Amino acid sequence: MINVLLFAQLKDELGKETVSIEGNGMSVAQLKGKMKVDFQLEGLETVMTAVNEEFADDDTILSDGDTVAFIPPVSGG
Amino acid sequence: MKERYSRQTLFAPVGEGGQLKIMKKHVLLLGAGALGSANAEALTRAGVGKLTIVDRDYVETSNLQRQQMYTERDVAEKLPKAEAAKRHLLDINHEVEVNAIIMDATAQNLEQLLGDVDLILDATDNFETRMIINDLSQKLHIPWIYGACVGSVGMTLTILPGQTPCLHCLLKAIPIQGMTCDTGGIISPAVTMVVAHQTAEALKILVEDWESVRPALVSFDLWRNQYQTVKLTKAKKKDCLSCGEQRTYPFLTMENATKTAVLCGRDTVQVRPPKPLELQLEKLAKDLDGSGYLVKFNPFLLSCEKAGERIVIFKDGRALIHGTKDMVHAKAAYQSILG
Repeated sequence: MINVLLFAQLKDELGKETVSIEGNGMSVAQLKGKMKVDFQLEGLETVMTAVNEEFADDDTILSDGDTVAFIPPVSGG
Repeated sequence: MKERYSRQTLFAPVGEGGQLKIMKKHVLLLGAGALGSANAEALTRAGVGKLTIVDRDYVETSNLQRQQMYTERDVAEKLPKAEAAKRHLLDINHEVEVNAIIMDATAQNLEQLLGDVDLILDATDNFETRMIINDLSQKLHIPWIYGACVGSVGMTLTILPGQTPCLHCLLKAIPIQGMTCDTGGIISPAVTMVVAHQTAEALKILVEDWESVRPALVSFDLWRNQYQTVKLTKAKKKDCLSCGEQRTYPFLTMENATKTAVLCGRDTVQVRPPKPLELQLEKLAKDLDGSGYLVKFNPFLLSCEKAGERIVIFKDGRALIHGTKDMVHAKAAYQSILG
């Protein structure tokens, strides 16, 4: 299982901070696609992704036990 | 060393040597809103040699809740933020050379200001300007510190050219339709928290303690109780167009800039994004409605109105700002909604 952590407004959209997803061998992009379909999460295309607290690309491959954090970029100031 | 800085020099990583360095450095602060006013005050109190503040806006009542530098008198006088900030900063520490520049920053006019600048502090409210800072930082080899906040959320990152990944490595494209303070609101502790991180990083850079610079992106949410640091050891991209081997500094060219034009005889300014967008008008309508705009929309365009100003935004991101001929104001109004 992949542990997915959702930050900021994504946490509100899902209604909780973490969710476990069956996703061994998936890429980050595939996981985003699945999250969009399964939970109707919007705006995942432009979020920053961390895998095990390390910045990761869309083509990073995930393994069981990984923790993936989706962090929306912030613009205001 | 002076009594004034005695507590700062007692802090060993600064010391008297570090203080002397701080007093010789020139920091350019881009933006004098919430992040800008708090950063400016911290650096002025710390005794930075020269502080250049660039901002395009003036002080309004809705700023006072979080933009700690400003007072009701500044609002009454409708002072430009850069100028109001300069007056307050000189009251705090007259030994700092404060240079207030009232302008809308572009790649061209900003580059001319960076000649002897040691550090660029980001206190802007949009990614377009940040990408310009990012390219200039790489081109001129000047460190910069990204900082941003909205709602209860904030984010910071220190970029050292030739060493760390740059913002363009982390964001392949400029995010569109991000939350802004005009659509998502903001509470003051989110500002303070970002500024605490930015000022700490700034001091490290000014005293040249490069080893201590934080090698990670910081992201937090003070309301939802989240704090995350993201390491960036694998994030630097060789093919990055801003910091890679074959760099072109794409954000320094006009084709990547938002364009504005006054529409003849209509008291309206058209704002056009660099590339057509695919906006989710329904979501934008919901955000704007929640923050006090009178909103109407259909599948093609959205019209929103607040304080007598009407803005029409088309699905491809083009917008008409009605009731003004001021292109700088129109661009600022546009970016306050779309980020």
